[in-house]
Amino acid sequence: MKPRPPTLRENRRYVLVRVEPPWPVAENRVIYSAVAEAVTSLFGDAGVARVQPAVIAGGPGWAIVRCIRSTEEDLLAALATVTCVDSQRRALRPLRTSGTVQALRRLLCAVETTPVTGGEEVIYGGRTFSPVRYPGEKVDLFEKGFKSQEPLFLTAEDLEE
Amino acid sequence: MHCTDACVYPYPDGDSTIRRIALTARELGLDSVVVPGAVPQSFRGVEIVGAVFYRKSHPGSGRVPNGTQGAGWVLALAQAGEYAANRALLRSGNGMVLRGLHATPKNSFDHILSRIAAEKGIAVDIDFSPVIKERGSPRQRALQKYADVIRLHRKFDFPLTVSTGARSVLEMRSPREMAALGRLIGLERQETQEALATVGRLLFPGKAVEVVG
Repeated sequence: MKPRPPTLRENRRYVLVRVEPPWPVAENRVIYSAVAEAVTSLFGDAGVARVQPAVIAGGPGWAIVRCIRSTEEDLLAALATVTCVDSQRRALRPLRTSGTVQALRRLLCAVETTPVTGGEEVIYGGRTFSPVRYPGEKVDLFEKGFKSQEPLFLTAEDLEE
Repeated sequence: MHCTDACVYPYPDGDSTIRRIALTARELGLDSVVVPGAVPQSFRGVEIVGAVFYRKSHPGSGRVPNGTQGAGWVLALAQAGEYAANRALLRSGNGMVLRGLHATPKNSFDHILSRIAAEKGIAVDIDFSPVIKERGSPRQRALQKYADVIRLHRKFDFPLTVSTGARSVLEMRSPREMAALGRLIGLERQETQEALATVGRLLFPGKAVEVVG
């Protein structure tokens, strides 16, 4: 099948999204499921058909979500209602909207985060945690020995106290 | 205080410490957060405004200068309930914030209470937590109720505040996201920006607050 000429294609918008927490890395497929569920529950099936959300790229701590032009605001509202990705609590924070993927890729180096996992165990509030440290001051704590781990979100200063 | 999340709950009510909430607020573009029960302070340029839940037996202004808890301000919040309770709260308070209207019975906030709120400068809080966290009928009810509040706000011009009611940094939202959520209940972008600046206006009523962004 011949590709449709550019003038006949629908205009699209691309939203660069920060995925928090970035660790463990979420696959594009599960991010898409979360976004599609959020759009469906907020705007219904007709809304999904109108917005046509798709995750076209992703990496550690970021994803690029595509939608039809003029539906960006609906997509942003839906992204704001995402609280869970693949049964893990996460937030999808829209950073920038653009008409081209290339423009968003230029921003990626500022978004990509490589947390440092492991290290010494930490005792906080009388419980033992494994820390995940991020560049800067942020530290996430995952409780040791539990199957469903609910993280705590702290700063390095909180741990020093 | 141009951009304030009017209610967040840090550890131990939530899973994030107050400092982490302040860091996240700064990243999201907020310059202050209101934290019930917190000691007013500033962290990395983000103002943490304490809040107390208002009781009818403590009449007075919503701005409570707090010399014993540090150099900051404490905002008075009031939990909305049934119509009579709301009326009593609104009649006795000044400059406070009425929260939790989404969870109140039908017709618990009407044109009469709107007029009192406008006269006394009492703000009504739009708490986005049910819109963010709930699905199905609880969210539909909240959206319906807030749309009604917005209609009354346009007619009577009482102040509005917006909050995420976040118990985790993952539930906090940026002003841009709050504007997108506000659109769902009929709030214009400019109105959301004004609502984000309302806490500053309540705490410093004499000072004109410029809306930025």
